[in-house]
Amino acid sequence: MAVGTPSRALRPYTCSSCARSLKLRSRKFATAASPDIYDVVCVGGGPTGLSLLTALRSSKATSHLRLALVESQDLDRARKWDLPPDQYSNRASSLTPSSQFFLSKIGAWPHVDTSRVQPYHHMRVWDGLSSTARIAFDSPAPEPAIAHMTENQNLTRALLARLESLEPITIFDKTSVANINLGSQPSSPASEDTSLDLSSYPHVTLSSDHTVATRLLVGADGINGPVRTFAGIRTRGWDYDRHGVVATLRLPSDFSHDPGNSRGVTAYQRFLPTGPIALLALPGSYASLVWTATSTQAAKLKSLSTEDFLAMVNAAFRLSVVDLDYMFALSSGQFDELQWRESVSSSTSKEASGDIPQAVEGVQNNSIASFPLRLRHASSYTTHRTALVGDAAHTIHPLAGQGLNMGLGDSRSLASAIEYAVIHGADIGNEMNCLDKYNSEMWMGNNRMLGAVDKLHWLYSVKNGPVIPLRGLGLRAVDALGEWGVKRWVMRQAGAL
Amino acid sequence: MANFSATKRLLSLPASARAAFLAPTRAFSVLKRPFPNYEGHVPLNVFERGALAAGSAVMSLLNPRRGDLIAALGETTATPYFIYRLRDAMLSNPTGRRILRDRPRITSRTMSVEKLRALPDNSVGRAYVGWLDGEGVSPDTRDSVKYIDNEECAYVMQRYRESHDFYHAITGLPVFVEGEVALKAFEFANTLLPMTGLSLFAVTRMKPAERSRFWQTYLPWAISNGLKSKEVINVYWEEELERDVADLRAELGLERPPDLRETRKTLREQRKAAKEEKEKISGLTSGKPFVGS
Repeated sequence: MAVGTPSRALRPYTCSSCARSLKLRSRKFATAASPDIYDVVCVGGGPTGLSLLTALRSSKATSHLRLALVESQDLDRARKWDLPPDQYSNRASSLTPSSQFFLSKIGAWPHVDTSRVQPYHHMRVWDGLSSTARIAFDSPAPEPAIAHMTENQNLTRALLARLESLEPITIFDKTSVANINLGSQPSSPASEDTSLDLSSYPHVTLSSDHTVATRLLVGADGINGPVRTFAGIRTRGWDYDRHGVVATLRLPSDFSHDPGNSRGVTAYQRFLPTGPIALLALPGSYASLVWTATSTQAAKLKSLSTEDFLAMVNAAFRLSVVDLDYMFALSSGQFDELQWRESVSSSTSKEASGDIPQAVEGVQNNSIASFPLRLRHASSYTTHRTALVGDAAHTIHPLAGQGLNMGLGDSRSLASAIEYAVIHGADIGNEMNCLDKYNSEMWMGNNRMLGAVDKLHWLYSVKNGPVIPLRGLGLRAVDALGEWGVKRWVMRQAGAL
Repeated sequence: MANFSATKRLLSLPASARAAFLAPTRAFSVLKRPFPNYEGHVPLNVFERGALAAGSAVMSLLNPRRGDLIAALGETTATPYFIYRLRDAMLSNPTGRRILRDRPRITSRTMSVEKLRALPDNSVGRAYVGWLDGEGVSPDTRDSVKYIDNEECAYVMQRYRESHDFYHAITGLPVFVEGEVALKAFEFANTLLPMTGLSLFAVTRMKPAERSRFWQTYLPWAISNGLKSKEVINVYWEEELERDVADLRAELGLERPPDLRETRKTLREQRKAAKEEKEKISGLTSGKPFVGS
């Protein structure tokens, strides 16, 4: 409808710039010098960008929009990504039921290889400095699970497969953005009939020297992407001076997440003063590690032998912070230290009751990696003809596993704003008619989530003083008030339930 | 009724099986005492611990020679927090960790007095044995810990208690009340164990001269040295026996306090001399009374 027939009848109901844009399609072929014009150009082909394009293509109202994707990586690698069942990518995310619902709605979930997805129904979270301060989350029914652990690449591949099952979009992969500018001013008002006024359209010049103009430019290009720079949107935030250490781990081979097991599958997270360590189940006897550590600790973890690395992971769920600090200072021999401390106070009973995870036995080759943790939030997600989604708009500490879910939430919201604008004949690049809806729906909620997660980070980095019993009291109170719906409220905030 | 018969059936089981059956659910009451966590452990509940702490505090103040009461006071006031803090101080230090792994005990069997006597005069071992001889005590005069629930913390308490004589040896503080209180003040600043702090109430038992000496000389020494020196619990005494005392003191960042025995001796002599002088004068005056005109 939006770029359908440039009907004269529409003109009285749309603003002049929209009316002009309605004519673009028919004029495109007439003026060879004018650039390729799209309705939406998305820079960045990660899960967020792909889900936006898929959402647009799969909705009836927006399915005919001219879409383009610019991605610097080779998408063939994402399409052909395939790992044997005993190997898992170290970048996995827990998809909340609301994210999963969105993915189902746009038709991408059936393309996800569910044999590589692990739902979990229980969560155990506790304080590293007071062992009695813990909280348990259990989903009441088998469905829905609290979340689904999914490899990011599994999701990317599914989104690409779904996208390519629909009407094709233009894909510029292995292509980066050289620069983004507004179009040039028309030479003179009188010449309107022969040249288009594209002065408000972002023109993206690609590394292949090709230029595309677009009604709406979407930045799904990460924390320091070119779209945000072009839009002149400022971000606020800080670096945490922490690194997220990730790895794919192997639990004892006799262990498996038996669906008949009444204990179900549990996600574990312990808050250490440097940051939380989390062990999230993958299918079979595999698990994904996310350990927030200082940069020196992260470097140390990566330099350790396999045996000592595994000892550190097991120690981080079992031993006191004093022991951990000491073990981080050692250059080797962590395994020996863990054995000795376990002989002094054994944790087997806690392991048997499911309060702590089982001891990990192995780590997948070359799966240990780390990345710096930051907090960033764009002051606004939109300017005229530009919108930011995902990490380009916000970067969050991984302690609540919200990063990817927030990105998918952005895509859902922006796609529905565009759909609304198209149905109502508004310009999708216009802030007032379209983009403001997205910004006002998402910004505040995301800001609240970023703030809450940031406060949790600071609350749990306190090492001593009255804060520790107080936060323990708070955690136990939330745990005890579970029956009055407090826990349900917390989980709803996190997108579960 | 059913409950009663169940209890009866349980009581007919052998003791070990009963223990295994009851252990996880057994509630704490005067009649049902939990099983000890280590040999010699006496589990106490909060009220028992409080009563024992208060009683031993009062009685040991009345009679400072009751070492058993001071020991009980030390153990009952060490939890919560304090003994764990001391254990963590050991766990953060390589030597302290080694001590906790090896768990050495200082007894007359492990510390051969003859061997120590053969060491050079300025060595830690010689100072220790000299101190034992001088005070007429033996390493075996230490009670074993029984009221601390955590087995490892019980060892930490034991270690502190057994190392106490070494603290005397390196600081040179004597065993009588004045020296003991000064050393306890040092230990309080260094280990933070509440009993060592509570022991300072013994100041009330001192003579005025001793008391002013304590406030003016020994307490300031104890506080500043206790805080600035390293944690003395982390010294592996068994390995330091041949070390030069002054060398070890320097490594710990410890200054030697004024020699209390020397001070008291000098003061005593001075007092004696003064008394004799006085007697002489009074003898002169009383022997040959001057009779005026």
